[in-house]
Amino acid sequence: MKMKKLLSLTLVTAMVATMSLTGCGSKEEAPAETPAPAESEAPAAPAESAAPAESEAPAASGESYDIVVMPKLIGIPYFNQTGEGAEKAGKDLGVNVIYNGPTTADAAEQVKMLEDYITQGVDAICVAPNDPAALDPVLKKAREAGIKVLDWDTPATEDLVDASIHQISDKELGEHCVDKLVEYMGTEEGEYAIITGGLSAANLNAWIKYAREYAEEKFPNLKLVADPYPTDEKQDVALSTAKDVMKAYPDLKGFICMSTPAPIGTAQAVRELGLQDKVTVVGTCVEEDCQDVLSDGSLDCGMLWNTQNLGYLTVACAKALLDGNTLSNGATIDGWDSPLVMENDKIVVMGPPDDYEKK
Amino acid sequence: MKNFAKNFVKRKEFGIILIVVILSVILTFLSSAFLTVTNIMDFMKSNSVYGIMAFGMLPVLISAGIDLSVSATIALSAVVIGKFMLAFPNSNPVIVILVAMIVGAVVGVVNGLIITKFNIPPIVTTLGVMTIVNGAVLLGTGGAWISGLPQWWVSFGSFKLFGIIPTQLFMLIFAGLVTWLILKFTLVGRGIYAVGGSQSSAVRVGYNVNRILIFIYAFCGMMAGLGAAAHISIVGQVDPNTYTGYELDVISTVVLGGASVMGGTGTVFGTTLGVILMAVLKNGLILARIPNYWQKVVMGLVIIIAVSVDVINRKREQAKLVRVDVEE
Repeated sequence: MKMKKLLSLTLVTAMVATMSLTGCGSKEEAPAETPAPAESEAPAAPAESAAPAESEAPAASGESYDIVVMPKLIGIPYFNQTGEGAEKAGKDLGVNVIYNGPTTADAAEQVKMLEDYITQGVDAICVAPNDPAALDPVLKKAREAGIKVLDWDTPATEDLVDASIHQISDKELGEHCVDKLVEYMGTEEGEYAIITGGLSAANLNAWIKYAREYAEEKFPNLKLVADPYPTDEKQDVALSTAKDVMKAYPDLKGFICMSTPAPIGTAQAVRELGLQDKVTVVGTCVEEDCQDVLSDGSLDCGMLWNTQNLGYLTVACAKALLDGNTLSNGATIDGWDSPLVMENDKIVVMGPPDDYEKK
Repeated sequence: MKNFAKNFVKRKEFGIILIVVILSVILTFLSSAFLTVTNIMDFMKSNSVYGIMAFGMLPVLISAGIDLSVSATIALSAVVIGKFMLAFPNSNPVIVILVAMIVGAVVGVVNGLIITKFNIPPIVTTLGVMTIVNGAVLLGTGGAWISGLPQWWVSFGSFKLFGIIPTQLFMLIFAGLVTWLILKFTLVGRGIYAVGGSQSSAVRVGYNVNRILIFIYAFCGMMAGLGAAAHISIVGQVDPNTYTGYELDVISTVVLGGASVMGGTGTVFGTTLGVILMAVLKNGLILARIPNYWQKVVMGLVIIIAVSVDVINRKREQAKLVRVDVEE
């Protein structure tokens, strides 16, 4: 009997844990954090209005900015690194950065969390939307509440944001892949294939589109053997797919791989078949994860933007906007050394990708 | 009656055999690279993980249960052995595989205990356990990859007997053999079919249903652990996020192999065929240069055909059965 009670207690605990992990977990953190800033701000606001003469306050007002930076999900290396950058920017620039997001890439969960942050009265929201359209109403609400809205990593609906931070120009990345492929193939003709994370990923598709257009135009003798092969964002699927592709097209000279696990799986396939010298692999991957396949030439060139800087730049732009500055091409902002590169009056582009090559 | 049952099982697998054979013939014509020993070994290696997990899932489905937590279990086992190897670089593959299987079995026992002691449906229990374990994996790793595994593990993973048969195929054969032995020759195995047919009858006949259920889920978890070892030996590093969605692939493979989610039916032979069919499909469609967007369509069609052959057969048999009953 006692045993049963103990077990049921365990079960209940387990269930609560489940719930908090699936959904409420992310929320749970939010309310826990909210009371503190909300309370401290509530008295602060009237104090400020009552005593506008307090002129030594500018530093303090800078510090009181609450900037929410929300990734698509937390707990994957990519968004861990962007988070580190965002938090570092918070420290450097003296703003309070709240880096939080759902544990799965779920737009509905992002909406719920953003609603909470709007209620708390934060100053800026920077979000990497899982589904831009789904976030429209909540972003509208945020703007109505006077909150600065930015997107980063993946664009939200352009009308609803004050600024849009792009890690890279899609065109530049696509073209860079092709240039690197040709460089390592050592020839401008031959067959190549594209391995991608998924056929419905908008950013991957954009890179692929630009890569294909550029290759057709600049290297007409490069022949793409088939439409991009999807690999479910899984390394082992990339491995087996790439192997099969090399069997189907024995004359294949190179792979362009989009999505971070794809180049590593593809490079392993090249290694297993011992074709390091015959087949070139280039693609987007995280620097730490590709060292092994780079070492023996299975992977020829990995590339990605600097993930930490992306988080950093996002926070820096949010602060600049909160300070009342406008972002413009060539302008400099606090915390970001190089002048801003802007595609239009909202889109900030971070810069060219970093290349990871065998040293 | 006994004869009828035997024929039934035979015919059930006959459908899928037919499809595998027809498909292989077509693919051989379309690509000279398809029917070669290297290629067959390659695609069996890439599908060994699903295969091993499918053998673990088979008893669960036979018992009319379901285990959604296998994707989380394999992730946990993978992370544990990844960290284990970094902590004990002088260990060896046998110990690593054992650790993986034990971790998996522990998760399985938890599943089994919750299902039997509280009478909570397996789908709810395993869904909850899946979420908990996934959360734990995320907490433990922060989602980061574990790389830099010892050289002996890498060599173990890329080893091929006689330069042909990969390590992972041995793991797959081991998993299939153990499952077959249990289902065919042990009292527990008989019990699994009995529970799946009718739980109350199984109790009346004298089976300890709870013990059987706990065993089934422990076994399924253990195989997910073995799957983790196979997977890590292929890819050489641990990506804790890569296993999401595995449960559906595994369950559909077993169902494709003739096991019913309603319980009571399913064989190791059928599951093996299910694994082979999925492997041949994935590999062959690329080799045959079928356009990528069509590959999924073809895959779906073949799966529907394979399953409907079975369903049509069963309907026909049932119709006969009813008529016989009425006439008598």
